[in-house]
Amino acid sequence: MINHLRQLVINSTILFVVLFAISYAEAAPLKVLHLSLSAAETGFDPVMTSDLNTAAIEEQIFEPLLTYDYLARPVKLVPRLAQGMPVITDHGKTWLFTLKKGVYFSPDPVFKGKRREVRAQDVAYTIMRFMDPKNRSPYKFLVDHKIVGLDQLGERAKQTGHFDYDANVPGLEVVGPYQLKIHLTGTDYNFGHAMAQPMFGIVAREVIENYAGDTASHPVGSGPYMIGKWIRSASISLIKNPNFRDEVWQFTSTDPSDQDIIRRMTGKKIPQIDEVDLQIVEESQSAYLSFLKGELDVFGVPGQFAPIVLSGNQLKPKLKEQGIQLTRLVDPAITYYFINIQDPILGGMSVQRIALRRAILMSINDEEMIRVIYKGQAFREAFPIPEGVNGHDQHYQSLIQYNPKEANDLLDAMGFMRGSDGYRRQPDGGPLYVKYTTSLTSQDRDLEEIMKKSLDRIGIHFVSEKLKFPEIIRAERQCRVAMRLSSWIADYPDGDNFMQLWYGPHTHENNASCYQNSQWDKLYEKTEMLPDSPERDDIYKQLARLLEIDGVTKVSTSHIRNVLIQPWVIGYKAHPILPSTWSYLDIDTKQEAH
Amino acid sequence: MNHTTTSPSFSPSLWNLACARLVRDKIGMLSLGIVLFFILLSVGSFTGLIAQNWDEEIAVNYAPPSFLDTSKEHTDTVSRPVIARQQINLYGLHDPLSAVLNQIELAHPQDTMPPNDEKKLTHLLLGADKWGRSVALKTIKGSETSIMVGLIAAIVATCIGTVLGALAGYFGGWVDDLLNWFYNVFTAIPYLLLIFAIAAVLNQKGVTTIILILGLTGWTGVFRLIRAEYLKHRQREYVLAAKAMGASHYRRMFIHILPNTFHVILVQLSINVVGFIKSEVILSFLGFGVPVDVVSWGSMLNEAQNELVLGIWWQLLGAGAAMAILVTAFSVLTDTLRDALDPKVVA
Amino acid sequence: MWAFFIRRLLQMIPTLLGVILLVFFLFNWVGGDPAYILAGKMASPEDIANIRHQLGIDQPWYSQLWIFIQQIVSGNFGDSWATHESVSHIFATRLGPSLVLLIPMMVIETVSAVCFALLVSVFRRSILDQSLMVLSTVMMSISLLVYIIVGQYIFASWLGWFPVKGWGDSLWRNLTYYAPLPIFLGLMVSIAPSLRLYRTFILDEINQDYVRTARAKGLTESRVLFKHVLKNAAIPILTNLLMSLPGLLTGAFLLERFFAIPGIGREIILAVERSDFPIIKAATVYVAIATMFANLAADLLYRYLDPRVSLK
Repeated sequence: MINHLRQLVINSTILFVVLFAISYAEAAPLKVLHLSLSAAETGFDPVMTSDLNTAAIEEQIFEPLLTYDYLARPVKLVPRLAQGMPVITDHGKTWLFTLKKGVYFSPDPVFKGKRREVRAQDVAYTIMRFMDPKNRSPYKFLVDHKIVGLDQLGERAKQTGHFDYDANVPGLEVVGPYQLKIHLTGTDYNFGHAMAQPMFGIVAREVIENYAGDTASHPVGSGPYMIGKWIRSASISLIKNPNFRDEVWQFTSTDPSDQDIIRRMTGKKIPQIDEVDLQIVEESQSAYLSFLKGELDVFGVPGQFAPIVLSGNQLKPKLKEQGIQLTRLVDPAITYYFINIQDPILGGMSVQRIALRRAILMSINDEEMIRVIYKGQAFREAFPIPEGVNGHDQHYQSLIQYNPKEANDLLDAMGFMRGSDGYRRQPDGGPLYVKYTTSLTSQDRDLEEIMKKSLDRIGIHFVSEKLKFPEIIRAERQCRVAMRLSSWIADYPDGDNFMQLWYGPHTHENNASCYQNSQWDKLYEKTEMLPDSPERDDIYKQLARLLEIDGVTKVSTSHIRNVLIQPWVIGYKAHPILPSTWSYLDIDTKQEAH
Repeated sequence: MNHTTTSPSFSPSLWNLACARLVRDKIGMLSLGIVLFFILLSVGSFTGLIAQNWDEEIAVNYAPPSFLDTSKEHTDTVSRPVIARQQINLYGLHDPLSAVLNQIELAHPQDTMPPNDEKKLTHLLLGADKWGRSVALKTIKGSETSIMVGLIAAIVATCIGTVLGALAGYFGGWVDDLLNWFYNVFTAIPYLLLIFAIAAVLNQKGVTTIILILGLTGWTGVFRLIRAEYLKHRQREYVLAAKAMGASHYRRMFIHILPNTFHVILVQLSINVVGFIKSEVILSFLGFGVPVDVVSWGSMLNEAQNELVLGIWWQLLGAGAAMAILVTAFSVLTDTLRDALDPKVVA
Repeated sequence: MWAFFIRRLLQMIPTLLGVILLVFFLFNWVGGDPAYILAGKMASPEDIANIRHQLGIDQPWYSQLWIFIQQIVSGNFGDSWATHESVSHIFATRLGPSLVLLIPMMVIETVSAVCFALLVSVFRRSILDQSLMVLSTVMMSISLLVYIIVGQYIFASWLGWFPVKGWGDSLWRNLTYYAPLPIFLGLMVSIAPSLRLYRTFILDEINQDYVRTARAKGLTESRVLFKHVLKNAAIPILTNLLMSLPGLLTGAFLLERFFAIPGIGREIILAVERSDFPIIKAATVYVAIATMFANLAADLLYRYLDPRVSLK
């Protein structure tokens, strides 16, 4: 307790010193960026993070080896803590990273007043932490079974209850103070994406060990910002990390719409904004009204609010006059209907069951859903890999088109006859219904409406199952969800991240349709051995088609992210993968004062 | 003391007196009229006489109320050209449904075209919701659900409270201790958590679940009052006389004493109805609302939650006002009833 | 007096045990398994087994119950499963905002409800009484959800009198800047029921014989009202107030959510959504204990203020 108090005193002293230093040195008004998060943060130990809001903050505090270029589209990996891009040899099995020199962690009492440089050993330590069972890391899958010798260490820790961080891991070879050679167990061209995730932000061992058990409250990284004031579940303020290296804004792009950003930002020191003030606002009405009043600087428009801010694809004239900026972006995510192949009523691979599933999927009108629920801020996506992700095919046509009449004909032909109540029975006379699973939120009530209407069109009973989100995940993992509209957002921009959703061995993991088709699995395994290439794209098309033929999945929509930005915010461009880009922004304080 | 009655039994003349008092109270009669009107509405909608077609999408999305003359442009949905199935590349894969689909397409060529959107109204009496359903009809249909939920849940809660209260008050001793313990446990758990817990136990989500959540959490007030009544009555002469004549416990509890607590029960019942109609809104907010094929005022208000900032206020107004009017009338009626039945108040 | 006090304290034990058992079984059996969420998007069954082991939910129910009881006795509920924050710290920090909202609400509600109740009691059965009563009934008949949605839109956004949402770390700023609108909206629904209740308490007293005696002795009406009636009506008012306190603590979750106030109600909803069992357990136990002590305090107060009541 006393330690905590002392900590608090020290932290706040640092905070004050820093704030005063800044305000006196520049004698300019503080540049504060006001933002909101739609859900509470969970604590800032990268290895334990699983939600995007927390990751967005960690992106600013911690630095992984690589990152994505701010302006380049499609997104491109660039070095962050690494000196340059890694040297990949041995068919994607050996990755050599060289660190930048002169990168320091933010000040913390653990360092006893000394500046602490980031070394290759820290990178190895950071990666090892993901296999420590005590950390129960949600992003363990990015290194699981990948690094030579690391899995064995994790297994041993499960038995002994203690993870040996001093053990020698052959796969994490520290070549020098600034060089780390990573040996993978097999070919993996996506490993670079893993090393660009904020969860892989580098931490210092002595900090983690000093705050053992409470590491989530003591984030110490090398990023441009560090935690200032923090009221749990309410507000978090990020202040400049005084130890942050000299880095200059120098992104380039050929896109004409980026030229204004480039003109205004190039050559500025990163970061320009002194403080990022984040508030947790769960209700979208509250967030929107705050933005209108200027209490928030950036507002991600939820779909149902689009009609007030947009007409067509343009900002409403009233908002435009105020100088409010709009940036739009296709989310690297899909929503998709899946049907459980092991479900007693809908499952199975007989022609009748395949026809039943196809008919159900044919009865869903995605256009209506886009118009009524998403207010036009989504579009029909047929391919399981969304726009902006390697392997996407924009010309792909779905085999399953909205057509309730033909769906009815198909069910008639397959012997699913209607009873006296107008609803169909199984061909053997057994009961026929679709148990559709949704969560308890009001958005999901709309999804239920859509499904109920769809099933009414083809005379099949709708049965609702509402579960809390953790319960849904559990039910999915146990193959107990009959049908659901699920969504998947890219962890990294590669098609593999999406296609693995139907891989047979991923049943009980995230293959919620519990689809097991050896033909499909063999094709998929082939793609894992291939880098991003036309050859791989061709197999992806076959994989997508097979999902439709078997009536397992219908990819439904991709969404457009609309972000409103106050006129005084400079340099904002929405990024599909990076959870936050605040250090690349600036504020025109004169304009803000107006 | 101005008590006019110490009569052991609530004589029929007192009920007459109460009725007479009720009739004289103008506000009371007005609210009775409003409540009866709403009950009539919900009976009408229950039997399918009115608002049977509430879920038909008769208008465009968010059609404004008729009295607003905003002839906004209604953009028709762009229907995409249909791609013939035969043109779709199967990438060399085999489709087991090809044969049957080919037959269907030969037999019913017109069925391969997607259905056209029919013409829809641009204005509605009280506007339309996001699906184009009439807010007026939804409000009427919602009154059925909300009143039914409120009434049945109140009956459930009152029955539980009365039976347990009667047992505790009549028998006393360890029965009383046990039931009191049960009461204490129930009231000590935070209401919010109790709702979540009971909802999780019941699992199946439907109108019955809502009724049970409300009924199982709302009995405590009735229990306390009825227990006190029974404590008071069990030593009265008429009960002792009944005992002397050989009446069973059951007879004494429910035939002799119960009628004398009717006034308390009735008032509690109507307080619960009001409370539960309001609670249904909160349950909807927490995600334990009615299923999608049912509409209630709670589900409407939750739908309307994000509509106000869009400038669409009619659903909020429809459900909000209907609920406010009914609940006000019901509360006033409860007051009137309480006054009329209160033996302490002189006529 | 002491015997009564100790007896009541002892009576709390079975009640608390009942609460513990009920909550433990309700949430353990049906409350969901957080391991599936904590494990992340791509967890294998082994990862989930590991998490269940780390959280201790793979142990038999009786050892989990025993751990729960040990936690209550030691007052240490461990860390939140979702955020790794210690549970006691969560409650210590969330209690403040809830109280900043509730105490002013409580004070204003009580004072204004008592004033109005006195007023309408004096002018009983007049137009003023009747119209105030009808108005208050109308006020309490509108859903809090409607008040919040409309109130936030009109007062914070359209008129701009208040901030839309937010919370700071300075008590004064919270109280004067962020809290007024939620407090006001909360009062819209909470004043009316209190007013109606207090009116009956006051009318009960006015109808008592001693009031008539006092009037007959020639005391002025205001003296009768304030000295005698209010003093006696204060007993049920105060006990009612005390007993409603613990429930209010968790009851403000709607206000807390819409105005982004980091209070206890919001935290509980979050915990239930996340199946964060340590927080749920702690919240139940804390509120249950608070409720029992509030009841005890109300009884003691009753005895203290009203010597006619003897405590057996």
